[in-house]
Amino acid sequence: MGKKVMKRTIAAALVMMLAVTSLTGCRFGFASDPDDPNEVEVKAPIDTSTDTFQYDSELKGTSITLMNSKAEIQIALEEMAVAFEEKSGVHVEVMPVTDGDSPYTKVVSLYNSGNPPTLSILDTTDVIALAEEKAEDLSSEEWIKEAEGYLTEVNGKVYGFPLCIEGRGLIYNKAVIEEALGETFDPAAVKTQNDLVALLDRLVAAGIEKPVSMAKEDWSLGAHQLQYIYETYDGTSAGAQEIIEQIKSGELKVKDHKRMSEFLSTFDILKKYNVAKGDPLGADYDEMAIDLADGKTAFWFNGNWAWPNLKEAGAKNEDAYGFLPYFMNNDENDFANQMIQGSPSKQVMLDGQFADDKQKAAAKEFLNWIVYSEIGQQMLVKTCNVIPPFKNNPYEPEDPLSKDIYEHVQNGTAFNASAIVPNDHWAVLGAAMQKYLADRSDKEELMQSIEGYWAQQE
Amino acid sequence: MESKNKGKDFCIFALPGMFCFFAVVIVPFLYGVYLTFTDWNGVAQAKNFIGFKNFASVIQDGQFWSSLLLTFKYVIVVVILVNVLAFAIAYLLTRGIKGQNFFRAGFFTPNLIGGIVLGYIWQFVFSRVFVNIGESTGWSLFEISWLSEPNKAFAALVLVSVWQLSGYMILIYVAGFMGLSEDVMEAASIDGAAGWAKLKNIIMPLMMSSITICLFLTLSRAFMVYDVNLSLTSGGPYGTTEMAAMHVYEKAFTSRQFGVGQAEALILFIVVACISGLQVYLTKKQEVEA
Amino acid sequence: MKQTEVGGTKKKVTTAAAMAGLVIIFIAYMFPFIMVVINSLKQKRDIIKSPFSWLYTIKGLSFDNFVKAFTQMDFLNAFKNSLIVTVSATVLVTLLAAMLAYYIVRNKNVISNMTFALMVASMIIPFQAIMIPLVSIYGGTLNVLNHRITLIFMHTGFSMAMSVFMFHGFVKGNVPIALEEAAYLEGCTHTQTFFKIVLPLLKPIISTMVILNSLAFWNDFLLPSLVLTDKKLLTLPLSTYSFYGTYSADYGTIMAGLLLCVLPILVLYVVLQKQIIGGVVAGAVK
Repeated sequence: MGKKVMKRTIAAALVMMLAVTSLTGCRFGFASDPDDPNEVEVKAPIDTSTDTFQYDSELKGTSITLMNSKAEIQIALEEMAVAFEEKSGVHVEVMPVTDGDSPYTKVVSLYNSGNPPTLSILDTTDVIALAEEKAEDLSSEEWIKEAEGYLTEVNGKVYGFPLCIEGRGLIYNKAVIEEALGETFDPAAVKTQNDLVALLDRLVAAGIEKPVSMAKEDWSLGAHQLQYIYETYDGTSAGAQEIIEQIKSGELKVKDHKRMSEFLSTFDILKKYNVAKGDPLGADYDEMAIDLADGKTAFWFNGNWAWPNLKEAGAKNEDAYGFLPYFMNNDENDFANQMIQGSPSKQVMLDGQFADDKQKAAAKEFLNWIVYSEIGQQMLVKTCNVIPPFKNNPYEPEDPLSKDIYEHVQNGTAFNASAIVPNDHWAVLGAAMQKYLADRSDKEELMQSIEGYWAQQE
Repeated sequence: MESKNKGKDFCIFALPGMFCFFAVVIVPFLYGVYLTFTDWNGVAQAKNFIGFKNFASVIQDGQFWSSLLLTFKYVIVVVILVNVLAFAIAYLLTRGIKGQNFFRAGFFTPNLIGGIVLGYIWQFVFSRVFVNIGESTGWSLFEISWLSEPNKAFAALVLVSVWQLSGYMILIYVAGFMGLSEDVMEAASIDGAAGWAKLKNIIMPLMMSSITICLFLTLSRAFMVYDVNLSLTSGGPYGTTEMAAMHVYEKAFTSRQFGVGQAEALILFIVVACISGLQVYLTKKQEVEA
Repeated sequence: MKQTEVGGTKKKVTTAAAMAGLVIIFIAYMFPFIMVVINSLKQKRDIIKSPFSWLYTIKGLSFDNFVKAFTQMDFLNAFKNSLIVTVSATVLVTLLAAMLAYYIVRNKNVISNMTFALMVASMIIPFQAIMIPLVSIYGGTLNVLNHRITLIFMHTGFSMAMSVFMFHGFVKGNVPIALEEAAYLEGCTHTQTFFKIVLPLLKPIISTMVILNSLAFWNDFLLPSLVLTDKKLLTLPLSTYSFYGTYSADYGTIMAGLLLCVLPILVLYVVLQKQIIGGVVAGAVK
């Protein structure tokens, strides 16, 4: 018996191996819409003919490491590293942060192991936590002036290189709305909360029963949605900080905070039209992308980072997707109803403790190369597909979501406010939001949780 | 081995293994204990001695204690289910039934799936299969995803843990049954004693060492459940299924209170050590000396 | 594998019932694995929308995921790394643990009692509690991370306690001291006795421990991710990193990658099953 099973297993393994090597692209089963097996992923071409960047030949042969916590650009960063090495002779090893590790945990354990990455891509709060202890002061770098407005300062010094701008709001699928309503859809015509409700009701009447998708994930609820109550105070980071201080000190009660009740009114609207209304905490992130692309829904609260998911779900670069603001009230003149949130999300930190001078210089050159060289500029936008926070970068992102955010930034209809909250804010208050989303708590309880959370902070 | 070469025997037999163990487990652990008495946050250069301050914070961390209570509940259910199931299955699988090797390979598969895939597959089972069944049969039990309701999410966690852990324990029980001499097993069968009596009087006492091991392993693993917790429910819905180990990790790294997290880990360790120490003591007493 | 066909119809009925129960439980156990196999052939869209359908899919079934996993993981290199680490650590821990456990059982003294108690206690240390101290000692102080040998050493150390615990139980219950005494009378040294008499008797437990340990080493993610950062040294589970995104993951490829990873373990298990049976037969001869 044992022998038989063994033989069978080995046979199966062999068949599998053979299949893997020979059947590439061959499909079987009953496929209703098979892909064209010859379809090849088209890569954005990078023009490397002009390169006026000044490389420091002293640095040739230096080797640095870059820890990447933005998994979707891992391959793109590796390509960038190769391009940079070709030109400068500096080797950049791109290390991924993987499943099961948070970037912060990873970087902390690497510091403890005495082998930290020269550069690490981290969230803003992580950079702030590590800045004075570990990071190199970047305040006098040249690119500072190109990234004005997107820098985070710790006691007057800059420790992070803003890698990209990310924006969020209500993603719409234009084609779906137009098809359902039989008319052209002009996003600019939706100006207030009432306009949004009217539009949603018309969609419902036109047969899209529940037109909105809402993620149940705590980071979406606790960070991306709830943080509007700080960030829409006046649309600046300083304003967000001010409101946080007021709530923390108890000076401002959460229930008296105007943006809190406004936020909840919008949240309730989304909740009402939520496609997963029957079981909001059973919603699946990947399915939401498919639903939006297929037209089962017309809206999805998310950010431009959702593009890879939409693309997998069948959306194309030439499709019309874009963002509506997270409407707060019915005042057409309120900036929150006119603007999309767009702020720098990932920062690159340079190690100041273990890296030697040459490595530091090489790392700085790499950052400058991203900002100033023709190749770096192109690759940041086209290969990594991110929205550059640097004024001098002439390239435009290509996917509709990033493009929409980019245009909002260019037209001045984006506001840049990053609320700096403690690191467990999204987890703790995300749970409170989940409870509210599932109708297992009321507004009162939610607001108490928020107040309680802030009261615990020093 | 009561000979004159005591020192030599010790060096050959015991020392290499002990060295690995002490160097990798005990030394870092002691260092970790030391860290609980400092204000070190995981990154700072300075480690200042602050006495029992971290432990005072642990006492105030209500979430930790409620997660510990939940863990107790979970452990009791899991330990019982895993061992009954694994023992029964292993027994059947060593009775020479047809195709038993094939079966054994099948029961081994839970060991093969770990990490995110495990959570993902089971999420599917709970939020799709069950919901589908609910839709077609109208059973309210399966109406909504198990993972979105606290009690059912807890049940889901138990179910998956039982599935995974019993796959492991079956292996050990099978080895235990295999270790019993054929005579014992045959004698038990031929005697024609009713199944239960046979089990209780003949097999159980001889299997006591396997039972001790399996109880201990399930107990400690259930107490330290982390992977399944993270990948299946990640503590949700709204933090209701956050077990102690996950809380410790979150405290140290998400809330960035390294010292407090480390102190909580130490307390968790002491609690589990006491309980499993008691268990091992009690079951060892039952073992038949060879 | 002879079945003892004694007893009346009542027994047959119970056996049949037990058999039926076994089959049902068996299917439940296999189910997730079958899901992995089915979905490894599908594209992400089909996985999400119709995870259970086997034949009717939108994009069709293909081995694309396997090809992608194979190339992106740099499979052969990662396989080699995993093999070196797993085999060395498994051999090392099995041998050292068997010897240590044997020593502890046969020598009742303070050191062996203390060590055993410490080992049992250490099995309940949450790994998260020693993670940071471990890297700061081995990385910060000794600076030996990023070597395969360090990983092998750590795997050995971490699994030592459980292995000793398992061997200890088995030696106590299944190795009669009379055999060893006979060997001593014939002039065997302790080392000879151990390798010639005791070790063969341990076969069933060795097979079990080899399976359990090699499985743990082969699939481990956390420890290798702390020790190894050099891409050339990555083990199989580490090499699947590119399939995971921040917000979502490439499930089809992950499952294909998982199957590629576990296949060797499955083969090992099937092979060792024979050993477990062989061990019992040898035990019955005594």
